[in-house]
Amino acid sequence: MSSLPPNACRMRVRYIKDGRLAYLGHLEVMETVMRSIRRAHLPFEVSNGFAHRMRIQFSQALPVGAASRGEYYDLLLAEPLDVQEALGLLRESTPASIAPQEARLLPRRVPALEAWVGLSCWSVDVVAPGVDAATFDQKLEDVRERGAIEYMRGQKPKRIELARTLVSCKAKDTDQGTRLLLQTRSTERGSLRPAILVNAVCGCTPLRVCRDAQWHEEPDDTLVDPMQITLGANPERSE
Amino acid sequence: MRTPRKDCFHRIEPLLGKVEKPSRYLNHEWGAWEEQEGPFHACLIYPDVYEVGQPNLGLSILYEELNEQEGFSCERAYLPWVDMIGLMRERNIPLLSLETSSPVASFDLVGITLAHELVCTNVVETLDLAGITLLAEERDEDEPFVVAGGPSAWNCEPLAPMFDAVQLGDGERSLVAMSRCIRDGRAKGLSRSQILERLAGLAGVYVPSLYDVVVDKTSTRWGYAVPKKGSGAPEVVLKHCVPDLSSTNPVAQHIVPYMGVVQDRFAVEVLRGCARGCRFCQAGMTYRPVRERPASQVIPAVEEGLEASGFDECSLTSLSTTDHSECELIVRTLKGKLSERGVRVSIPSQRLDSFGVEMASLVGSSRKTGLTFAPEAGSQRLRDVINKNVTEDDLMRAARNAFRNGYRRMKLYFMMGLPTEQDEDLLGIPRLAEQVIKVGREELGPRAKVSVSLSVAVFVPKCHTPFQWAGQLPLAEVQRRQQLMLHAASDRALRITYHGSWPSLIEGVLSKMGRSGFDLVLAAWKRGCRFDAWADQFDFPAWQEAAAEVGIDLEDVACEQFDLQARLPWDHTSPGVSKGYLQREWRRAMQAEVTHDCTMDTCTGCGVCPNLGVANVVVGDRT
Ligand code: SF4
Repeated sequence: MSSLPPNACRMRVRYIKDGRLAYLGHLEVMETVMRSIRRAHLPFEVSNGFAHRMRIQFSQALPVGAASRGEYYDLLLAEPLDVQEALGLLRESTPASIAPQEARLLPRRVPALEAWVGLSCWSVDVVAPGVDAATFDQKLEDVRERGAIEYMRGQKPKRIELARTLVSCKAKDTDQGTRLLLQTRSTERGSLRPAILVNAVCGCTPLRVCRDAQWHEEPDDTLVDPMQITLGANPERSE
Repeated sequence: MRTPRKDCFHRIEPLLGKVEKPSRYLNHEWGAWEEQEGPFHACLIYPDVYEVGQPNLGLSILYEELNEQEGFSCERAYLPWVDMIGLMRERNIPLLSLETSSPVASFDLVGITLAHELVCTNVVETLDLAGITLLAEERDEDEPFVVAGGPSAWNCEPLAPMFDAVQLGDGERSLVAMSRCIRDGRAKGLSRSQILERLAGLAGVYVPSLYDVVVDKTSTRWGYAVPKKGSGAPEVVLKHCVPDLSSTNPVAQHIVPYMGVVQDRFAVEVLRGCARGCRFCQAGMTYRPVRERPASQVIPAVEEGLEASGFDECSLTSLSTTDHSECELIVRTLKGKLSERGVRVSIPSQRLDSFGVEMASLVGSSRKTGLTFAPEAGSQRLRDVINKNVTEDDLMRAARNAFRNGYRRMKLYFMMGLPTEQDEDLLGIPRLAEQVIKVGREELGPRAKVSVSLSVAVFVPKCHTPFQWAGQLPLAEVQRRQQLMLHAASDRALRITYHGSWPSLIEGVLSKMGRSGFDLVLAAWKRGCRFDAWADQFDFPAWQEAAAEVGIDLEDVACEQFDLQARLPWDHTSPGVSKGYLQREWRRAMQAEVTHDCTMDTCTGCGVCPNLGVANVVVGDRT
C-alpha cells in the first residue's frame, strides 16, 4: 500500500462512446482515455514499482460495436483540482466520440467502480424479417423458460444464466423494426450482452446497441446514479 | 477516367461488426491531419495491416512533410486484413484511404513503403484492391502515379514493373520534389511519359520503365538494366541524402492510434546511418553516412512529442542508438525528467558491451523480457568474416554485467549459412550460449533461474552489401545444421528457435532475380499468396507451384553464387557505396580481415562521402 499524499482524492468522470468509436474494444478505450488524461496534464497519481502506471479505474467493459451514454472512470489524483477546469481540459484533449460529459471529486476511499456499478440499461434496435415487438416477446419467453443461453465466444462454449442477469426487457415497434429497452445485471458468473440475447431470441445481430445508463443497486433495490453517490459512514475501500 | 474522389466510409461501416479488430479501419485518430483539401492529393500506403504499418516512422516523416506543404495533402492507407478484403471484394468496395475514406485510385500520387522483400504479394494485392492498373506501362494517362520507397527499395526490381517511379535514399525532401514535379507536369498538360522523364531527372528517383534489361556474358542470368535510348535517364541513379539530420523535423510522429500497434510509443529518430560495417547488413551500407541528431534537439523533441500525444513511452530509434555520441546524456536527462510522470524510455537495440548493458539497465525497459544481443556468429573467425567486431570476452563481460544488474534472461541472435561457415562455427553457437548460462549461475548462484534463448535465422544475401555475391544455404543443409545445433545444446536453460527457412528462401530468391522476379511474384499472388510475412498465411507450396509455372527452381536461384566481376541486376541504383569497396570487403571477408568503423577511426573508403558530397555528422566523441 502506498503512502497517500494528504490531499489525495479521486475524480469520477462520466463519458460517452459513440459514432465510429463505438467499434473500439475496452482496452482500446482505456488506452485512449489514459492518453487523453496525459495530454490534459492532470495531476494523476502513478503506481509504485517499476512500471509507474496511471492509477485509474474503469466501469465495466462495453462490447465492441456498442455505443454508450454513460461510461465511467475514477482517476486518482495527488491533489484536488478545479473540477470544471479539469473537465474542460479533458474535453479538449479527448476525441469527441468518447468525450467526458461530467466530473466530480470524491473522497479517496469509495467502492471500486467495476464491482459497484452493476446494472445496465440498454436500447437495442433490431431489424429482422418477421420480427415485431409481439413476436419478440413471445420468443423471449421461450428463451427465458430455458433459463440460460449457450453460445460460442471464439472457439469457447459459454453459458449465461438469465434469472439474475436479465432484469427486464420491453419491446416496442418502431418505423424500422423493433426497439428493446433492456436492463441487465452483471454477476460474478458473467453478464448478459445484448447482442447475445438478440441472437438467442431471433437469430440475428442487432442493428444498434447503446448503453443508456449504468446504476448501482442497493440491497433494498434502490438505484444509485454513479455521479450522485452519497457516502455512508464506513464505505468499502477500493484501492 | 480517374476514379472520383468521395467519402466512402458508409460502404465499410456496415462491415465493421463483421470483422476482427474493427479499430483497424476507424481512422480519425488523435493527431491525424483533418484538412485534406489538396488540390494535390497523395496517399501513402504501408502494404500490411494497420497495427504493423502505423508505427512506421519513415511513413510518419513523409506524411508530415507533405502535409506541411501548401497545396499538398497526404493521407494514409493500409492493407485490410483478409476478412475485410473478402467482404470488400464481395461488395466491390475498393481500397480506401483512412483520413477521408476516398478510393485510393482517386489520388494523384500513391506511395508504397517497401519494408522488406516478403511484402511483395501484398503490393500486388494493394494495387488490385485499389483498382489501379497493375503494370505501370499500361496505366491510363490520368491514373495515379504509383511510387515506392523504403529500406527494401534497393531490391525493388522484382516489383519494378508496378511502379512509375522508385525513390532511393532519404525521402523527406525527395517525395515533395516528386509531388511538385507531377503537379506541375499535370498543370502544364504534359503526358504521363513526359512527366516520367522529368521525374527521372530528380535526385534519387529511378523510373523503371525508362530502362531495358539486358542479359549478356558480362552479367548474371538475370541481366542488368540500361537506360532506354533517348530517355535521358541516368545510367546509375544515386540515392538522395539529407546531409544534416538536425535540419529535419524531429517531431515527426503525431498520430496516436486507438488500437494496440506493434511499437506503441512515441519515437524520435536520434541518428541515421551506421558505419560499423557488418558485411551482411543492407541498412548499414545503404543508410550511410552517419548523421546524429544533437541531444539539444532530441530532448525537447521527446518532451514536445509526449505532451502532444499522451504516450507513456518514448523510443530513441536508429540503427544503433547506443553508438550516438550523446546517448548517455540523452538517456539520463530523459529518465530524470520523465520517470516521475510514469513515462518509460526505450532503446531498440543494445550494443554488445558494458555501455550497452549500462544504458539498457538505465532505461530498464527490457527488464522482464531480458536483454537482447546479436553476436550473429558462433566463432571469432566467422565474426571476423562478417565484420561483427565483438569478441567472446565482450559477450561474457556484457552478460556478467547484465546478470549483476538483475537480468536473468538473455536473447541472442545468430545467423546460419554465412559465407565460409563450417560446422565448428555453428557448434560455437550453443557453446557460447551455455557459457553465458554459466556466467549467470556464477553471478546469481548455481540454482538461479537463468535462461538464454537463441534465435537463429537463415542468412539471406542482400544487394548493395559485401555479401551480395554469396549464395544462400540449400534447405536440406539448413535442416542438417539446425539438427546439429539442437543436438549440441544440452543445458535445459537453453532454448533454440529457428526462423522459418521457407520464407527466407523466398526472400533469397527475390533478392537475386532482378526484374524477372516479377513474373514469380505475380504467379504466386494469383495462387492466393499474400501476407507472406505472417507465418499462418505463408503458403510455400503455392510459391513452389508459381516457381514451376515461371520455369525456375527456388533453391537453384537462391543458392547461386555470383561472379565477383559480373554486372548485377541492381547495378543501376547506388546508395553511394562503391562497388569496388564492396568487392574489397568481400575479399577481406574471405581472409577474415576486419574493417573498422569510420566514425571511431579514419575513413575506410566506402565512397559515400565523395560520391554524395556529404560527411559523417558526429556531435560529440565516439568511443
Ligand atoms: S566515405 Fe569514408 S568516412 Fe564516409 S562513410 Fe564511407 S568510410 Fe565513412
